[in-house]
Amino acid sequence: MEYPDKTLIRQIETLSGQGISDCYQCGRCTSGCPVVDEMDLNPRQTILLLQLGKAEEVLGSNGIWLCASCMVCGTRCPCEVDYARIAEACRAIVLRAKNSKVDPDSIKDENIEEIPQQAFVASFRKFAG
Amino acid sequence: MRYTYYPGCTLYTTARSLNDCALKVAERIGFELAEMPAWTCCGAIYNTNSDDLAASVGPVRNLARASQLGDKLVTLCAACYNVLKRTNTALNDPEKQDVAKRLLDYVEEPFERPIEVIHYLEVLRDDIGWDQIRGKVTRPLSGLKVASYYGCLMVRPPKVLQFDDPTNPMCLDDLMAAIGAEPVQFDFKTKCCGGYLVVSQHDVAVKCSRRIIDNAADYNADVLVTTCPLCHYNLDALQRDMKAEDPDFQPIPVLYFTQLLGLATGLRKRELALDYNKIDPRPVLKKVGNVS
Ligand code: SF4
Ligand code: SF4
Repeated sequence: MEYPDKTLIRQIETLSGQGISDCYQCGRCTSGCPVVDEMDLNPRQTILLLQLGKAEEVLGSNGIWLCASCMVCGTRCPCEVDYARIAEACRAIVLRAKNSKVDPDSIKDENIEEIPQQAFVASFRKFAG
Repeated sequence: MRYTYYPGCTLYTTARSLNDCALKVAERIGFELAEMPAWTCCGAIYNTNSDDLAASVGPVRNLARASQLGDKLVTLCAACYNVLKRTNTALNDPEKQDVAKRLLDYVEEPFERPIEVIHYLEVLRDDIGWDQIRGKVTRPLSGLKVASYYGCLMVRPPKVLQFDDPTNPMCLDDLMAAIGAEPVQFDFKTKCCGGYLVVSQHDVAVKCSRRIIDNAADYNADVLVTTCPLCHYNLDALQRDMKAEDPDFQPIPVLYFTQLLGLATGLRKRELALDYNKIDPRPVLKKVGNVS
């Protein structure tokens, strides 16, 4: 993926309102994350890569798409870093470059009948560009 | 007592039973929920990107309209509660007044008075009180072991929501005790069910939800209760997948807390809308002698 803006870290900080360097890598966020087992990069590692300036790697990882926005990470962080907002900002950058992660046409009819629309609205807002 | 009430979209469709029981129970307990006119979707998730003002237009418009009707707005869906309460807090944040002004100018609805967003459970706990509710119980749910599931959206972020203890909330447990049921210890009260991941990463939601059901089973819960339509769907409907993956899996019914409240305060069986539950709760409710 190519991104027109070369100052990705700054963009992530502005969008999320979080300071990447505020994180001291303790891992409390990650120890409470319900989906960490599925992630290639966990929340702590994601922030570490951003601290090292490797934003492209983060934007190409699956971790940011597995976040369920449960808000455990931000609640636990001793440095008041809200990782969920960082993940949200990363997703926005990818989605705004027109890379949707959810395809409404791929949803099965029986699921459309059954799943609460609250889930569809949330999913499309999180994952559609 | 009369409150302005915001039902939200899902309470009109898949979560009808959450809504309908709540309205009928309110009548029995002695307060009224007056649905606000011209409400729109709250957006289902609270936006956190600093430049995405459009995502806040829906909730801001709803709050402004509600402020024209009274000083409290009652919600019942956990997601609506979360989004509207956080939006309301942001609107009043002295450091975000420039954004607040832009949003309010855009929605062209006057904000007539400061408004408080509360949850139905807070009406029961703070305005009515457990003693009064206990007095309305005609059919105590004696012996029914209930695991109270709060999920994420009722308690986080704790600084803004201030609903209850964020790691060990007790509001639902106390309500269950007030209607005669037995609240069980439950470690995963606030562990995420996977939420909207069910749409795009179904298996991840099954895994997250399975952990919660297993934990409730460890404490011998007969049923789980929730106040979120999406948690309800994941915890209830996805047990089908859990069973398919693991033949030894033992299903546990998942109810809206308003259904049990309705049962205890004497709503008729039909009014409880138990048919909509995927895992049929009737056998276990019968076991404790409660469904006529
Ligand atoms: S809890 Fe906070 S400080 Fe610790 S690793 Fe996570 S973001 Fe960094
Ligand atoms: S908000 Fe996302 S990253 Fe943070 S703990 Fe929850 S699922 Fe994990």
